[in-house]
Amino acid sequence: MTDGAPVIEITSATELGEAEKKRIEKVFAAKHSGQKPNFVYKIDKAILGGILVVDGDKFYDGTLRSQIDKFDNGFILSQKFVDAATASKSVKAKKPRRGKSTFGKPARVRVSVSENATAEDIRKSVDEELNKSVADYRKSFDVRHAGSIVFCGDGVIKANGLSDAEYGEMLQIENGAQAIVLSLEEDGVGAIALDDVDNVSAHMLVKTTGMIVSVPVGEKLLGRVINPLGKPIDGLGEFEADRYRPIEAPAPPINDRDKVNTPLLTGLLAVDSMIPIGRGQRELIIGDRQTGKTSLAVDAIINQKGKGVACVYVAIGQKSSTVSTIVNTLTEHGAMDYTVVVCATAHDSAPLQYIAPYAGCAVAEEFMYSGKDVLIVYDDLSKHAVAYRAMSLLLKRPPGREAYPGDIFYLHSRLLERAAKLKKELGGGSMTALPIVETLAGDISAYIPTNIISITDGQIYLESDLFNAGTRPAINVGLSVSRVGSSAQGSAMKKVSGKLRLDLSQYRELEVFAQFGADLDDVTAKKLEHGKRISEILKQDVHRPMEIEHQVVLLYLATKDMLSSFPVARVTEFKDRFIKYFDINYASVVAQIKEKGEITMDASIKIEEAVNAFSAYFLKVGGDEKPR
Amino acid sequence: MKKELNQGIVSVILGPVVDVKFETRMPAIHEKVLVQVSDDVFVTLEVMSHTPPSTARCIALEPTEGLSRGMKAFGTGHPISVPVGEAVLGRVMNVLGEPIDGKGEIKSETHRAIHRRAPEFYEQKSAAQIMETGIKAIDLMAPYLRGGKIGLFGGAGVGKTVLIMELIHNVAKEHGGYSIFTGVGERSREGYEMIQDMTESGVIDKTALVFGQMNEPPGSRMRTALTGLTVAEYFRDEMNKDVLLFIDNIYRYIQAGSEVSALLGRLPSAVGYQPTLATELGALEERIATTKHGSITSIQAVYVPADDLTDPAPVAIFSHLDATTVLSRKIVEQGIYPAVDPLQSTSRILEKSILGQEHYNIARGVQSTLQRYEALSDIISILGMDELSEEDKALVNRARKIQRFLSQPLFVAAGFTGLEGRYVPLKTTLECFSAILKGEADRYPESAFYMVGDLDEVKEKAFD
Repeated sequence: MTDGAPVIEITSATELGEAEKKRIEKVFAAKHSGQKPNFVYKIDKAILGGILVVDGDKFYDGTLRSQIDKFDNGFILSQKFVDAATASKSVKAKKPRRGKSTFGKPARVRVSVSENATAEDIRKSVDEELNKSVADYRKSFDVRHAGSIVFCGDGVIKANGLSDAEYGEMLQIENGAQAIVLSLEEDGVGAIALDDVDNVSAHMLVKTTGMIVSVPVGEKLLGRVINPLGKPIDGLGEFEADRYRPIEAPAPPINDRDKVNTPLLTGLLAVDSMIPIGRGQRELIIGDRQTGKTSLAVDAIINQKGKGVACVYVAIGQKSSTVSTIVNTLTEHGAMDYTVVVCATAHDSAPLQYIAPYAGCAVAEEFMYSGKDVLIVYDDLSKHAVAYRAMSLLLKRPPGREAYPGDIFYLHSRLLERAAKLKKELGGGSMTALPIVETLAGDISAYIPTNIISITDGQIYLESDLFNAGTRPAINVGLSVSRVGSSAQGSAMKKVSGKLRLDLSQYRELEVFAQFGADLDDVTAKKLEHGKRISEILKQDVHRPMEIEHQVVLLYLATKDMLSSFPVARVTEFKDRFIKYFDINYASVVAQIKEKGEITMDASIKIEEAVNAFSAYFLKVGGDEKPR
Repeated sequence: MKKELNQGIVSVILGPVVDVKFETRMPAIHEKVLVQVSDDVFVTLEVMSHTPPSTARCIALEPTEGLSRGMKAFGTGHPISVPVGEAVLGRVMNVLGEPIDGKGEIKSETHRAIHRRAPEFYEQKSAAQIMETGIKAIDLMAPYLRGGKIGLFGGAGVGKTVLIMELIHNVAKEHGGYSIFTGVGERSREGYEMIQDMTESGVIDKTALVFGQMNEPPGSRMRTALTGLTVAEYFRDEMNKDVLLFIDNIYRYIQAGSEVSALLGRLPSAVGYQPTLATELGALEERIATTKHGSITSIQAVYVPADDLTDPAPVAIFSHLDATTVLSRKIVEQGIYPAVDPLQSTSRILEKSILGQEHYNIARGVQSTLQRYEALSDIISILGMDELSEEDKALVNRARKIQRFLSQPLFVAAGFTGLEGRYVPLKTTLECFSAILKGEADRYPESAFYMVGDLDEVKEKAFD
């Protein structure tokens, strides 16, 4: 306490009696040894009953009003603690442990949850506990620390007081805005406001909440569009979430992981064959603007229909209309049924954009830890990096390369490391992440792109030259890799795709060299022709995912060099028609490949037979009609 | 806990940097300080600097989310120390020496502090003996030396980790002695796979693993390399062993330092790095040394941020190494793996007096052929191949064959390329390249040189 005697303010709904005043004064005088505090009494009907004592930065809240509020919030809060504790069983559960604060305690429900408890079990035991705690629920003081804003501007807030604030805690500002604690200093805290930034002003009251930032998670979110704080923004009304999860959570430790062993099919021939993605993998999609990055990710989401994979699409710093178009596309293809969209648009504050991917990750984690497979798309992390840079510079952290702060790598590494394949004992769920990064003028070796490449398990590089030349998806095979996916590839695919990637990148290199008019030996010339046809086969329209069995058949044709009799220009046409023809006339073979996951001797004979029959016709009549 | 506890109070928290006020006695620099979060949960800090009158500025080795001011902290009176000796073999631990493989406590009687002085000048011993790796591009162009310090430089995704795993496969297995693998700021998935692979091949029984991966806070990543090194030093100093030390990735050590530097109150230096970059690195690298007691052969992966080899961090690391293998994106684009850049990779022992006249001549021959091709390629791109002299044409064709022949199927990438790995002995490597340079392989098509082991395979592929 500074100069003079401390002032203690006591608010009650009705005038207090002398005896009561004496009792209160005695309690609080004891807290100030040495100086005798001055007591000031106020009356405020809004508190309904009980008293509120303000002593320095401490609020002793014993009002009826807050008890009622707390009872609502307390339930949710306590559930969050359950979540935090069960989120990752091998991680030391550090919460709850706020011994000195009693906030939320009367209603806090502690439930021990067994390893394989279902949501229903948890709900039941929470209900039981809740009934018990209602019985214990008597009037109690809620000690909350508060402070007042001494600086605010550009979304950055400094407040004094708040002596019990925790690092990463959510603060409640008087005007209803929320802020996250980012630094705890001797005379106050530094925080960033998440919403309603414009209405925060100096001298406003700030309170700690005892909560770290959390979002609602669970099945109920499927089909919804939410903001990073978990509020629905799709106009379909509020939802009642089953559970909450803190947005920041530790990544599954090494010992909780399992090998990536199941493919995540994107429905794109070029990706599933040469850059296969496994469930639990992180595969970066990188390229200039307008090269089809988002389309590729959206195709991957659309292709998950009926495959039991939940999807989360996180939009960061994009314009609202773009996001709305994506949601429409997903709805049209029936993909919203299993998709959650987390959206922080360009007009949202930098801090809100900053937490968006973490919020999306928390939503995805819920599915992963409940044993499901989930696909998450971060669109895009370059904008995320820019939002974080804005925040860091406003917080006066020194800039490094390209003015990004020193911990820009950790920003993305701790996010992307949360995607993993869990071991069986933990349910065997997985989170596959497809982060997107935009390059400038094809510069893949810029700072943020290389940072993220060094985190992910491979990248799909889209090139505007290829895109403009009509190769779509415009994948540069030489620079695209998948470091784990091939171990998750099915045997049929593995057999046909084999050295496809290496062949194709060699072809691209040869193509360039051949332009210089070098004398080509026969082998090389043949390679070039073969390469051209493979390139044609790999072209695919957007939002038209292809089933794996069709992919296998087409690649079988390509690798067995069965296309050399067609002119390159007609390969695309041939491919579409042949698949239709094959589907109708050889349904049993298609079913067999799908079922067994491999091409048997019998199947390969059938394929050859089909090609011969079809191609004779195709070449003769120009393929205008279907052969019988 | 002991009776006369040195107790302090947390006063400031700035992300991974925590200030603790001590009224009675200031803990020493590098002393381990524990913040009590609850009855049995502690967060470990390490003292970095003293600020008058009584504040110790510390970095946290564990996440600080949930810490608050006023929490109690205790000075432990000693630096972070980790278990060393044979008990750590076959085990996986974190920066604090705690087991993370779920196999229970590491029962070691000996612990060592992670901060130590480098061996004295008179203890140093220099090495000059080649260490065969079975990888053509390395053995020929930038041979490694036993007891030396080797760096694998490369930007993101050019195959540093794959190459380091291949080296573990080829070298650690043959080596027979103890190996230490230190994962600093890399992918957790890779850590998992490393453990699986080592368990399968049985190498793990002679290996100690230390991990502080990229999901860990900077304090942890800053100290993990020291933990691994401390384990290696003990084998060298106390047990007189020759050990292999793998560090993936040493750049992350510097990066972690730069993440906390500003928060520690230091002014930023070039490209935002910490002003102490050179000394921090020196303190670590100088400890990795070969002494009269035993040797440490270290293979360090070095991430090159933004593919920029002139970045202050890789530049600082370069000067500490005996051999450097540079992996380049340009070569990855050609589909050549391992993407070793034969013109940028160097080795201190690429000298006649050490490797012998033959090896030296072949290596230089390959180098000059490739260099000439690079010079000619501009001419080719403008005028075309036809404008070249016959001699130059032959050289270009040979150079392209050499480029391809420098590729090699790797054992650890077999699942990915679909090709079984090849171990090519140094003798074979020399014979093959010598033959190509002499023009003895001119008759085989270029593509036959791609992804093979030796010339016999080229012939086979050519006649296929």
